[in-house]
Amino acid sequence: MSEKKEKLILMCTHGPEDPERATIPFVMATTAQASDVDVVLGFQVNGVMLIMKGIAEHVAAAGFPPLKELLDIYLENGGKLLVCGPCVKSRQIEPEKEFIQGAIVVNAATFVKECSEATNVMVY
Amino acid sequence: MAFEFDQELDCSGLACPMPILKTKKAVDALQMGQVLKMIATDPGSLPDIQAWTSKTGHELLEHEQEGDKFIFYIKRTK
Repeated sequence: MSEKKEKLILMCTHGPEDPERATIPFVMATTAQASDVDVVLGFQVNGVMLIMKGIAEHVAAAGFPPLKELLDIYLENGGKLLVCGPCVKSRQIEPEKEFIQGAIVVNAATFVKECSEATNVMVY
Repeated sequence: MAFEFDQELDCSGLACPMPILKTKKAVDALQMGQVLKMIATDPGSLPDIQAWTSKTGHELLEHEQEGDKFIFYIKRTK
């Protein structure tokens, strides 16, 4: 019998304007990966800015590793980036051109599915 | 007392979550049953390593403190 694996959804709702709040979900996500816990990062509101090309490089919160370092580790470990479609649209972002590789633009039903299947959802 | 170990990882000066991420990588590189000696200076290291070993099932054989250094002996169990 297979045991259901634990899964965390971490919602990033703040962008580079709040480096600490932007960084902590990445700290949690990489630690979850290292702890054999499934994890998905979701981006809504200004959190979508974090995965625009050239942004993570400039986000660093005191006491934490730079965001880019954590983002790279998350992606190297197969981490998924789900991005809110309407939030992308309202910011006039062109996903294919402006987002880093691996970003997946989705709508509410995907977030509802992911969150309802998760063991825990944390919103930052 | 010092345990016998197979690999050593110095995480001195590293901030959360890097000691855990590096420990995971180092433990994964061990053979089953081998022991990693990990050194950290982050005061949160002890509860963190205890939580991580409890979550992953690897065994924390021993921990000790020397000045500002926290030393852990972790056995790969799976």
